[in-house]
Amino acid sequence: MKTEGKPIRVDKPPFASRITRRTILLSALASPFVQRNALAADSLKAYSIWPENYARPMLEAFEKASGIHVNFIRFSSGEALARLIAEKGNPQVDVLFGGPVETFTAGEEQGIFEAYTPPSAADLPPRFKSQKGMWTAIADDPLVFMTNTKFLQEHNLKAPASWDDLLNPAYKGMLQMADARTSGTAVTRIFSILQVNNRNEDAGFAYMKKLRQNIQAYTKSGGGGTVPVGLGQAAGGIFFIVDALFTRQKGYDVQISFPKEGIGSAAECLGLVNGNKNGAAAKKLIDWATSPDMQSLLAPSKINFLPAHPKVAPDPDLAAILKSANIIEIDDRWAGDNRKRIVDRWVAEVLNAS
Amino acid sequence: MTGVNVSAQPMAPHPRSFARAAGLFAIWLLLVAFIVYPLVMLLLRAFLADGGFTLDALFAALKSTSNLRALRNSLLLAFLVGAAGTLVGLAFALALDRANLGPRTARLIDGLTFLPLISPPFTTSIAFVFSFGPRGLITYDLLGIKNSQMYGLTSTFAAETLTYFPIAYLALRPMLASISSNFEEASFSLGGSRWHAFRTVTIPLIIPALANAFLLLFGCSLADFATPLILAGSDFSVLPTEAYLQITGMFDLRSGAILSLLLLVPAGLVFYAQERVVAGRSYVTVTGKASASARRDSLSTGAKVALLTFCVLTVALILYFYALLFWASIVQAFGANQTLTLDHYRVIFTEGLPAIKDTLIVAIIGMPLGGLYGIIVGYLIGRTKFVGRRAMEVVSMLNYALPGTIVGIAYLLAFNDKPLALTGTATILIACYVFRYSPTGIRTTIALLQQIDKSMEEASASLGASNLVTFRRVMLPLILPAFFAGLGVVFIRSMTAISATIFLVSIDWTLITVKILENMTEVALGPAAAFSVFVIAVVVAVTGLLNVALRRMTAPSLRISRIGT
Repeated sequence: MKTEGKPIRVDKPPFASRITRRTILLSALASPFVQRNALAADSLKAYSIWPENYARPMLEAFEKASGIHVNFIRFSSGEALARLIAEKGNPQVDVLFGGPVETFTAGEEQGIFEAYTPPSAADLPPRFKSQKGMWTAIADDPLVFMTNTKFLQEHNLKAPASWDDLLNPAYKGMLQMADARTSGTAVTRIFSILQVNNRNEDAGFAYMKKLRQNIQAYTKSGGGGTVPVGLGQAAGGIFFIVDALFTRQKGYDVQISFPKEGIGSAAECLGLVNGNKNGAAAKKLIDWATSPDMQSLLAPSKINFLPAHPKVAPDPDLAAILKSANIIEIDDRWAGDNRKRIVDRWVAEVLNAS
Repeated sequence: MTGVNVSAQPMAPHPRSFARAAGLFAIWLLLVAFIVYPLVMLLLRAFLADGGFTLDALFAALKSTSNLRALRNSLLLAFLVGAAGTLVGLAFALALDRANLGPRTARLIDGLTFLPLISPPFTTSIAFVFSFGPRGLITYDLLGIKNSQMYGLTSTFAAETLTYFPIAYLALRPMLASISSNFEEASFSLGGSRWHAFRTVTIPLIIPALANAFLLLFGCSLADFATPLILAGSDFSVLPTEAYLQITGMFDLRSGAILSLLLLVPAGLVFYAQERVVAGRSYVTVTGKASASARRDSLSTGAKVALLTFCVLTVALILYFYALLFWASIVQAFGANQTLTLDHYRVIFTEGLPAIKDTLIVAIIGMPLGGLYGIIVGYLIGRTKFVGRRAMEVVSMLNYALPGTIVGIAYLLAFNDKPLALTGTATILIACYVFRYSPTGIRTTIALLQQIDKSMEEASASLGASNLVTFRRVMLPLILPAFFAGLGVVFIRSMTAISATIFLVSIDWTLITVKILENMTEVALGPAAAFSVFVIAVVVAVTGLLNVALRRMTAPSLRISRIGT
């Protein structure tokens, strides 16, 4: 391009400095084209399934406690898993941080994890750890019904207290919940429905097909429907409690309720990636996150996960909300073995029914 | 396209131009490395199973009624968006070029037209939901409609048309402007009415541009997964979204790949149809002969008023959408807590700073590369003859015609291992943007060249100039608008596109658009809106600079193509 105006006069620098300058310039120009090396010896890389506003405070606290910097990027559970599988030959990260247990069991099957059992695992109940040590839970996250208060008032409804309440025609075309193809939230929801139907799949699917009539949209991510429900664009939906309470903390007027028949909960886990390059640092992170060191920070940070470690007491407000809840256990072995088949059936019979 | 067999055929029939042969070879090398190779890797993944080649998965996909429905929906949507977007773009091009607007009004409308084009994904869709949903600001608060349902074909179609029509406008306006008014005046002086002149003179002259615009929009809509993801709902499934969900959600690379390969057929057909429309007609209007730039008077008053009203209303809707976006970026929580705050901007300039830096580096490096690549390939295809020219044309369009999801996955598969281990670098992002978005520059170059008489080059050649000199001294200034269009599109897309690169971002190189998507799904509309406003501001500034440069560097009669603001 043509430069307008007076040329700027620059005194010629001495030869040596010109060389250095050229080197610096060239390396600066080349830097985008090569892989960046780790900044320091004490750092590690992670994919986080936990959203940034939950993961960042935790990982910053870890850096403060250990001096190890965690370089992380956030993906939804399906995306993170797809990447880890695609990158198997050349892993880019050391740790998969956060995310529902079903993602981790699927990843274990794909061989993306390396076994590592942190000391705290001994204190955890069986559903919070992989038998082979491939992943360990750091928190628990029950599902809830979340409804828009104004919508309930306008339609003279009470917050839904049973799965059947959601079939009320008043909700026709007004519920948003996650798509089972991408979201762990949705998979947990479907297994909850099967479980409350005593694992009678036909009964469970009959219910889901009826519920389909009231669905406005299936969202890509588990929390995708929370703002629409907060704004009243949708009347309600089924979400993880951490997302529902965060919506309420933002100031949206929503109700949180539980079905009397029971609803499932997903363990939130982390695991060491097979072929990791910063194993020692990664193991320190796993030790820290599975211990009370991290989990006692959840409540003060207003992050509404239930701590997985039995020695950490949950936030009193969170405990109060859950007092009325009937949380049922979903056998993750059963869920893991049937996951693909059930999701395929959901896509064929529920999603594409119309 | 699987059959595009690219054995290196760089040897041109005219050995006198060594430079051209070298250029051809280099271009083919790039096309093979960044378009053919990743696709071959993807196809291998799709069709190789249990140690052998199999089409079972393809047949299984074709048997599924839901896949066929998604294919049908995709085609319907792309056709509607292509047709409507081309019409809207034509209306804007006519209004701005022929309605004798004051220069200020014209500039204002022209600038606002580009907002949707330079915006990050999801902005139009989200504004749509806020405005037309069951509690939409327009449907509920303004009109009092209680249960408006807005997910489905209509809103997806409307949002995509609004997002993509500026591309049609961008393709059409230079063509309209470059039609010498002599033609229309000749028609008047022969007693033709304005409508008759428009129909029989103007329209035929811009047919290549119309076909071009339709093709571009059809491709955009066919590949767009962001808008349907938000607006299509569960009853109107389209292929890109389905493929995306298959890959990201079901970890099923194969059926995702196969689903999106179904899109290749319609994309190829439209491309072929467009070629047929354009072929065999002469559209030369830049002849090198003097033509007085008379004041244009080719529209009747009624037509002018109608066109202007339409454009003003469209622009008003766009403005309203962006006001909404800006509002969301400066309040605590949109719709719940309307206290003004700069918090969201603080967040993007602290936590979001790495993404901002990375995005700017990628965009600034990709821009000149894309611009150059666009006019070189466009010139080669549009003006020279060599073996494999058609193959080059098709191959250069592939990454554009393919849904971004597929390009992204293909790159991920191809560049994760040797010989080209690029995962985790910015190169993979830059290459993805350059080869995916330069076709706009290529096609603009070709379309412009179709209007430039061969005699211009022949004159240069007969005066003893070499091919290279002719290209540089004669053709380059004439196709400079295409170069700037290419620059602009690659920069804009590097700042705003997401569908392919969402698979290519890494720990070290991440992008603003990925941050926006993440924020939108995390109950964090504020930072998402703030990021979007920032992107728009940067793009407006850069395209503004490009326009100034273009105006300074081209002859007055060619000051036609505007890139932004």
